[in-house]
Amino acid sequence: MDFTLLDTLTQTFGPSGYEEEIRAAIESIIEPMADEVRTDRLGSLIGVRAGTGADGQRKKLLLAAHMDEIGLMVTHIEKNGFVRFTTIGGVRPVNCIGGRARFANGVGGTISVEYREDSSKLPEIAHLYMDVGATGREDCPVTVGSTAVFVGPLIQQGTRLISKTLDDRIGCYVLIEVMRRLQHSKYDVFFAFTTQEEITLSGARTAAYRIDPDLAISVDVTTTGDVPKALPMEVSLGKGPAIKVKDSGMIAHPLIRDLLTQAAEQADVPYQLEILLGGSTDAAAMQLVRSGIPSGCLSVPCRYVHTPAEMVDANDVENAIELLLTLLSAS
Amino acid sequence: MDLHNLLKALSEAPGPSGREDATRDVIADLWRPLVDDLRTDRMGSLIGHKRGTGKSGSPPSIMAAAHMDEIGLVVTGIEGEFVRIHSLSGMDRRTVLGAEVGVHTRHVHTRHVESDEASGYRVLPGVIGSRPPHVLPASERQNIPPWHELFVDLGLTADEVQQWVQVGDHVTIQQPLITLRNGRIAGKALDNRASVAALTMALDSLSRRQHEWDFFAVATVQEESGIKGAITSAYGVAPTLAVALDVTFAKQHNDNDPGSFELDKGPTLGVGPNFHPELVSRLRQAAEAEEIAFTIEPLPGSSGTDAWGIQLVREGIPVGLISIPVRYMHQPVETAALRDVERAGRWLASFVATLEPDYRPRWEDEL
Repeated sequence: MDFTLLDTLTQTFGPSGYEEEIRAAIESIIEPMADEVRTDRLGSLIGVRAGTGADGQRKKLLLAAHMDEIGLMVTHIEKNGFVRFTTIGGVRPVNCIGGRARFANGVGGTISVEYREDSSKLPEIAHLYMDVGATGREDCPVTVGSTAVFVGPLIQQGTRLISKTLDDRIGCYVLIEVMRRLQHSKYDVFFAFTTQEEITLSGARTAAYRIDPDLAISVDVTTTGDVPKALPMEVSLGKGPAIKVKDSGMIAHPLIRDLLTQAAEQADVPYQLEILLGGSTDAAAMQLVRSGIPSGCLSVPCRYVHTPAEMVDANDVENAIELLLTLLSAS
Repeated sequence: MDLHNLLKALSEAPGPSGREDATRDVIADLWRPLVDDLRTDRMGSLIGHKRGTGKSGSPPSIMAAAHMDEIGLVVTGIEGEFVRIHSLSGMDRRTVLGAEVGVHTRHVHTRHVESDEASGYRVLPGVIGSRPPHVLPASERQNIPPWHELFVDLGLTADEVQQWVQVGDHVTIQQPLITLRNGRIAGKALDNRASVAALTMALDSLSRRQHEWDFFAVATVQEESGIKGAITSAYGVAPTLAVALDVTFAKQHNDNDPGSFELDKGPTLGVGPNFHPELVSRLRQAAEAEEIAFTIEPLPGSSGTDAWGIQLVREGIPVGLISIPVRYMHQPVETAALRDVERAGRWLASFVATLEPDYRPRWEDEL
């Protein structure tokens, strides 16, 4: 596990729509590994690796991992300096309370909840506020529209990794490692680090339109059924990457699912079949681009998705990389 | 073309969203003799192209879309000899208790089985049972069990289940089409195989009459999981205009609200922001000219049909909607009138046959 790389990826600022910093970080990492690097009009970063076949004969394969993260946006600053905010992407209010947020300009804040008569009910986002140490509007270091992300450093314990934003910087990590280790492929491989997945899947949609690939695979996280009193779900941490069958936004193309399954068998890595009842990925958008792109998804199992302390298993990450390398290197 | 047999073949074919192969094969066999060209697009939609007599290089074209996928179930887990399931697309939990089902196994690439029957595909019969009422606590008797408490019993041992079934296998309702009195039929998947039957009737009719426009019959995939095949097939076909065929709510003994329509009184014609008004009035004229009974169906927002997806494809495609009333929608006993299916097919064919080469649905101030 390249701890330093994952540390950089998880800790670099980049809520949906504000991916400049994370894009710059990834760009400098992949620049030496790609034949071509470009940023498209909605901000997705595309690294291209040309395949080995004759020109005009090669298929185009799009691998997409989103580089944006969930976050918060300031909606109002109160007279006494307290900051009210809304969510960017699927942030649950209960996961914010007691946590810290960090703005692009480095300002930090602590998040609390106002007094409520009935505290047995889950709070709504309107009940929360952020304290950035200001005493009034004049000395408040952030403005309406400023965006923030959770604070949650990366730690490793055994094979488990805990951090903010493993969704989906772990997917970015997988793409980068595949790019680093890939010798040759029959495909022209497009590594897309997409924007705005957490709100509208927009970056993947437009990247796929421009690239017009023959097949597309997103690399993202999925939830698990292996925690106390979880809804039954046949995905566990540490039992291998998950090959998506279905989520709430798409049914994976059976041929892509088979391609991933075959690659897992060939690479001799464990895998799981995934049915995710809530949530979706870039693949749902890529599937509907132009006249349809056969699409699927390889998931890294992840506990506590969309909290400041997400958890994945390093073995699942390594096996996802091996699986994709086998798929791309197949003759 | 015998409509009853046609509907029986279509209704009984399995074709859950995302795995429409078996249904597509049935439709392809029906359409092949009726079209000039037949192809399956990348998402799996079946596209039959019937050339018009218009002589110019690229004549105007009309696409008629009917989704061929049906609501279904998917295996989400295995617990001993029982198979846990969830809705794959649009399945009502109330309707699966006591149902007969088929589990569609795919073992082609799994490591559980070394060599399988050549294709690795088989349909295992099963039932979805639940706890007998005698043993249910009073508090649970009125409740429908949540999905994670619903299981398929295949009559297999735990080992056999492990060997044959895997997470992701599709499960479909097994239900033969039955004939009721007064030209009515009941069965599964009449949403939307009734429309596929109407589209097939229209193709049959157009094979015997002249039409200037190119006609694309499209059996779309994955409507029940988010109107997907219509969007991608319309992009590929890029038609001048389109008509979607689907089912709508028929009045039934306990549901007579204004959003439902009499069975056997003709298909409905969608009106609302999803539909091009000029195209709607032209469809209306076609029905009146042929003396086909129909009802206007106001749809103030999304029609929830393929028409909703098609409208926003490319630069926008003028679209209309013809719907066949069906009772008990999304239940294994969907009930329709044969005459309504026949009317929908005849209506579509007449409309297509009367399109002049220079007809375009226009806004009055459009340049």
